[in-house]
Amino acid sequence: MKIVVLVRQTPDTEAQITANSSGNGIDETGIKWILNPFDEFAVEEAVQIKENTGAEVIILGIGPERALETIRTALAMGGDSAIHIKDENFGDTDSYATAKLIAAKIKAIGDVDLILAGKKWIDEESGQVPIQVAAELNIPQATIATKVDIDEAAKSIKVQSEIEGGQRIIELTFPALVTTERGINEPRYASLPGIMKAKKKPLEEVTVDAINLEELGLTAENLGVAGSRYKVDNIDIPVINRSLNVLKGGNSDMVEAGEVQAAAENLTKLLREEAKII
Amino acid sequence: MSEIWVLIDTTADGTIRNITYEVLTAAVKLKEKNSATVAAVFLGESAGSIEGDLGKYGADKVYKIENPALKDFNPSAYATAFSEVIKKHNPDIILGGNTLQNQDFLPRVSALTSGGLVLDAVDVDISASSTLAVKRYRYSGKSISGMTFHDVKPMIATIRPNTFKAAESAGAGEVVQESAEIPAQDNIRILETKLVPKDRPELTEADKIVSGGRGVASTENFELIFNIADSIGAGAGASRAAVDSGFVPYEMQVGQTGKVVAPNLYIAVGISGSVQHYAGMGSSKVIVAINKDPDAPIFQKCDYGICGDLFEVLPALTEEFKKLS
Repeated sequence: MKIVVLVRQTPDTEAQITANSSGNGIDETGIKWILNPFDEFAVEEAVQIKENTGAEVIILGIGPERALETIRTALAMGGDSAIHIKDENFGDTDSYATAKLIAAKIKAIGDVDLILAGKKWIDEESGQVPIQVAAELNIPQATIATKVDIDEAAKSIKVQSEIEGGQRIIELTFPALVTTERGINEPRYASLPGIMKAKKKPLEEVTVDAINLEELGLTAENLGVAGSRYKVDNIDIPVINRSLNVLKGGNSDMVEAGEVQAAAENLTKLLREEAKII
Repeated sequence: MSEIWVLIDTTADGTIRNITYEVLTAAVKLKEKNSATVAAVFLGESAGSIEGDLGKYGADKVYKIENPALKDFNPSAYATAFSEVIKKHNPDIILGGNTLQNQDFLPRVSALTSGGLVLDAVDVDISASSTLAVKRYRYSGKSISGMTFHDVKPMIATIRPNTFKAAESAGAGEVVQESAEIPAQDNIRILETKLVPKDRPELTEADKIVSGGRGVASTENFELIFNIADSIGAGAGASRAAVDSGFVPYEMQVGQTGKVVAPNLYIAVGISGSVQHYAGMGSSKVIVAINKDPDAPIFQKCDYGICGDLFEVLPALTEEFKKLS
């Protein structure tokens, strides 16, 4: 069985975001980069399947040079080999063009049974790329998986997923794509020996400019801005401009027991008469 | 004449959900700029007589794509059927609510129709080059981006619930019956669907939310959160710290690695207000903080607050809220 895990490098969740000088990207100064948290579950699930079935796990990431660190993290967690499509202008490529390139590369790998990815990228706040990959490959998908169960002989996977107002179980025949939700597993930490070993694992690095388009069934029209359906014009940082009307105690910052009732009445009145919200 | 399509979102029993009217309102706003026809589109087994209600909110037309194969939601079948009808009518713009279902099948529609897709828009407009322009949050609530479609069709966007206030606007609601060939789905089988009746509104659609954090201190104490939430018909959420401490399940988590919410009222109880939490609720209209730490960052990011012990404040506030109804 062959599994491809899609990985994305994102800023850490505690990172403060500011715009860069061109105004349509982020200033990367001081940003700590991590493996997209939902992708960690995808990598872990792939490695667990490998441990149970002997599957081969290939890590696939697109991104600038710095994304290699994230790909190595996934290798250290147990991936067998990795492909890094290097694209320094990654920010100019939209989800449509990104998915086309990923799908073409997966086709070129050949005989892939299962594609795993996180349910969303926390930077773009979107989970659309893996689904677009599935559609490009004309294979079925199950998203937001909280549990999976593989039947190797039947070449199928049962997926428990979250839907509006409940849950459901879907069975997909390979090849198939599944996106992972928190709760599906407990991702392992990359151990020190794992990190050492990761450096020696097979790594295919190819820049977008040097990629063999013919082999992938693509043309230059499919890449970057030309292949994209939309562009980012600007990034604004919302200014936190709130009224900060905090009720405090008479003697100290904290409202004391004897003052609680008045504070509760006062807040209710503000919400009703000033904010007109309740 | 060009068309703007709006996907109809219904509950399990076939009732049109409010998000549909919110999205229709967004479509009518665009129509005023580009004189398009607004059409609502139903995908499912059987629509029933929905055109009257849709017409009231500005639908000039109602396309009904009815097929037994669309009874249960299946992303492949929905995308195939919808894409076929899109290719027939060639609409410029397609809008839908940012629901789990739309997030699940519209990316496939984008790939099948070579159209563009932007999820979770908080504003839509017609750009200088007559294409669709959207605003959406990126890096959760930490940044807001203006994005413009290139000259492609269809331009598809989903709209965040509670962003547009549904407004009535007369439309003819003319019914157009459509059919689509849906090949047998051999590689995807829905084995079981379990709808869990919820006591409270879904967080992503709730008009009001009360969330508890580490300060709530235990699973039992979350009853205080549920009680005050119920007193105003609010959804109940939690911070990552409360979920990581095991007080409540992950599905209640609000923040960058949980749910991103935008209610009219968000009450944060015992939540310090970290960057990643604010990223998930910072676009709420009114934020209220209850915390005993006067230096908690949440007090620099709220509209109203009480600096006090939540175990004293919540029961008193719940009683006051109850008096309102």
